[in-house]
Amino acid sequence: MSLRPLISIVDDDESVRESLPDLLTELGFTAQAFSSAEAFLESGDLNQTRCLILDIAMPSMSGPDLQRELTLRKHAIPIIFITAHSDENVRTLLLGKGAVECLFKPFSETSLLAAISVSLQVN
Amino acid sequence: MENALTHVVNSLPGLLWTARPDGQIDFLNRRWCDYTGLQADRGLGVGWQSVVHAADLPELIERWQAIRVSGEPGEIEARLRRFDGEYRWFLCRISPLSEASGSPVKWCGLHIDIEDKRRDEDMLRASERRSHMIIDGLPTLVAISSATFQLESANLHYLEYFGGTMDELKALGPVHNCHPHDRPGIMAARQLALETGRPYEIEARRRRADGAYRWFHLRHFPLKDTHGRIVLWCLLQTDIEDRKRAEALLAGERSLLEMVAAGESMSRILEALCQLVEETVSGCFCSVVLVDSSGTRLAHGAAPSLPASFIDSIVGLPVNLTSGPCAMAVCRNEQVVVADLASETRWAAYEWCPLALAQGLQACWSTPISSAAGKVLGEFAIYYTEPRTPTPEHQAMISQIKHIASIAIARAQNDAALKRSETFLAETRRISSIGGFSKRGATDEITWSKEIYRMYEFDPAVPVTLDLIYSRIHPEDLPSVLELIELQRSGCDYEHEYRLLMPDSSIKYLHVIGHASVDHAGQLEYITTIQDITERRRSEEALAKARSELAHMARVTSLGALTASIAHEVNQPLSGIITNASTCLRMLAADPPNIDGARETARRTIRDGNRASDVIMRLRALFTKKTVVTESIDLNEATREVIALSRSELQRNRVIVQTELADNLPCVVGDRVQLQQVILNLLLNASDAMSGIDDHPRQLVISTELYEGDQVRLGVKDSGVGFDSHDVNRLFEAFYTTKSTGMGIGLSVSLSIIESHQGHIWATPNEGPGATFFFSIPQRGEGDTLGSSSVAGRATDLADDQQPTGKAQ
Repeated sequence: MSLRPLISIVDDDESVRESLPDLLTELGFTAQAFSSAEAFLESGDLNQTRCLILDIAMPSMSGPDLQRELTLRKHAIPIIFITAHSDENVRTLLLGKGAVECLFKPFSETSLLAAISVSLQVN
Repeated sequence: MENALTHVVNSLPGLLWTARPDGQIDFLNRRWCDYTGLQADRGLGVGWQSVVHAADLPELIERWQAIRVSGEPGEIEARLRRFDGEYRWFLCRISPLSEASGSPVKWCGLHIDIEDKRRDEDMLRASERRSHMIIDGLPTLVAISSATFQLESANLHYLEYFGGTMDELKALGPVHNCHPHDRPGIMAARQLALETGRPYEIEARRRRADGAYRWFHLRHFPLKDTHGRIVLWCLLQTDIEDRKRAEALLAGERSLLEMVAAGESMSRILEALCQLVEETVSGCFCSVVLVDSSGTRLAHGAAPSLPASFIDSIVGLPVNLTSGPCAMAVCRNEQVVVADLASETRWAAYEWCPLALAQGLQACWSTPISSAAGKVLGEFAIYYTEPRTPTPEHQAMISQIKHIASIAIARAQNDAALKRSETFLAETRRISSIGGFSKRGATDEITWSKEIYRMYEFDPAVPVTLDLIYSRIHPEDLPSVLELIELQRSGCDYEHEYRLLMPDSSIKYLHVIGHASVDHAGQLEYITTIQDITERRRSEEALAKARSELAHMARVTSLGALTASIAHEVNQPLSGIITNASTCLRMLAADPPNIDGARETARRTIRDGNRASDVIMRLRALFTKKTVVTESIDLNEATREVIALSRSELQRNRVIVQTELADNLPCVVGDRVQLQQVILNLLLNASDAMSGIDDHPRQLVISTELYEGDQVRLGVKDSGVGFDSHDVNRLFEAFYTTKSTGMGIGLSVSLSIIESHQGHIWATPNEGPGATFFFSIPQRGEGDTLGSSSVAGRATDLADDQQPTGKAQ
């Protein structure tokens, strides 16, 4: 197991998949990006992932769908949802279902770091 | 002496002869010989027989024999031939010349010419015979009685009518076979005549041999001798049954028509009609059966003397040829005569005949009753308890009766229809708040209906004047109304709307239509209807308000959705910018600084910045274009933009968008923003249609293609709930929606946009789940991206409809 915790990113938006892993690497994490929930589930990174940064709205399987699926598979990975729709109702709902945080795009480095550190403490 | 005697005998004005006791003629005088032209010697013995008429001779010989045997004088009549061959009648008086012993020694005969007397007698007898013949031949009953009214003789008709011989009738006594009701009257008249010797006339019924009573007119008058003494009474009895019946029928018909005119109920009239026939034609039963309003079933009319159970079995039968004679008569509009029900085989299916026979009826004549226009209203039936066929008299009466029945039924139906339509009209007026008034141009005399009083809220007791009307009209509308009144002088038809200002300051809207006509006196008259349209106006205003609210809501809703879309589209690149910028700073702050990484992240920051800028530019394009701009549009590009704008919305709905955009698609001409609104609407509708679908992917295929040579078609195919095929015509109507949250405006707006682009918009159900919505619009005229065959096709179309594509420019 690497000393640098693995953070997985699932987002269908390419610019997120492009920029976020670089930032996380700079922050001292190992980052892996997936374009869909299915791709993440099929990867071998589930067990190594210490924190999941997950887009809510995606075609086919959505972020919350993936959360449900992971719960079913007994993978208790802390999840930070990210979304371009700033909807407080959705945020409240997701936090209620066990998400560590729900960040509205564009989010600051500080808020991202805070959420990640909470996730890692949960572990 | 002998000579002298002979001379005398020869000179006697008679034909004289003598005969011997044995009958042989032994002497004929000169006159005999002169008359017969026979020589005396030729006539002696039995020679005389040659001048006796052959027809008279045998009787004469016999008689002559008898006289001789009796020895008494006697007379014989016979014709003797004159010398010129003419026969004349003679009376021959024969006397015996007897001796003292008493036995005749000679017979003496004298012929007296009785030709003239005989002729007179013959004439008298002939005259008597003629008289008898005449009396017998008189079409009337003649009876002769003595001065004391003892019946002496009667003519043949008399005997035949009463059905007895002279002696039998004499035995019956005076005023025999008279109707008991009429007998006292006749007895009184006879008594008076006997006392006064004056003739009398009276009408009475007398019983015929078959038992039927018939009406007679009796004239009883005395015959007097030269001294003025009554010797005989003559009774003339003329049959007036037909006249009486016709009179009764006529009186009955008149009373029926009076009932019709007085508006008596149809059932009462028809009942009276049946009773009239039953009274007029003895021994019959009548009924009237009607056709119901549907024209398919028999309905009850009247049958005062027939058992209800029998009529009930007829009422309700279908009008056809099989259910009975009544139905058949109605069905064929022809008289149906059943002379003998017992031998009738028709209508077996309904067992009609056994039904009638069970009531003791044996004959039925059913005659259809038709209106003046030829419509069959019902039928009139006559029943008999014995087999019978109608006589011409019956037919004449039936034809009269059915005519009256037709009048009564038609009148009743007209009355009912009139009453219905009056009620209907009054009700319609009340419901629709329509009033009417008439106004005479010259006099300004106004007649108002009740409804108008109600509308204007005037006391119906107050006479209406123009000034009173003006006082109610809204001051702002008064000038236009006055103009209208002026217009009325010219006799024009008019239509106008104006308001009333009521005392409580409420407003009423009235719609008035006036029609000018010229009455029989040549005077201009306006018939005007006024409708209170206040309610309608209020509804229209409420509807307009609701519409504008709806439109506002639609705008707000779509703006909200749009804002969310815009935020999403802008937030994505912003998120990239911030992340990249953070990474960039981190890379630069590292020791040593990661210059290459920082450069790369800075480049990405710029790219995302441009991306955000693009979004803003598209928004500016959407919101700043207020006027309709026509430009050349690449539908593929426009579609991609819409997909980009609505992506987040579609994603949230978990819709998988697949694009099948044709390469080298020709441009179209139109308003880009409007067309994008249509595409957006179709996408969002498709997304909504799939919102409840969980058993298969929410697949959305948006495609573009060249269509029918000169059109560009865009299709949006979903796998949603689809639509019922009977809704296909309503999909594009405003406010029609199958969605619980939708307004139903989108597609109607889309329709108007596409139509303004000379295009078509339509929908078809998919073979699988869901539906596909298409629109097509003409490609741009100057487009140069088409193959040569398409250009040729387009040229043909242009020639056909003379309308160049791209005319929207």
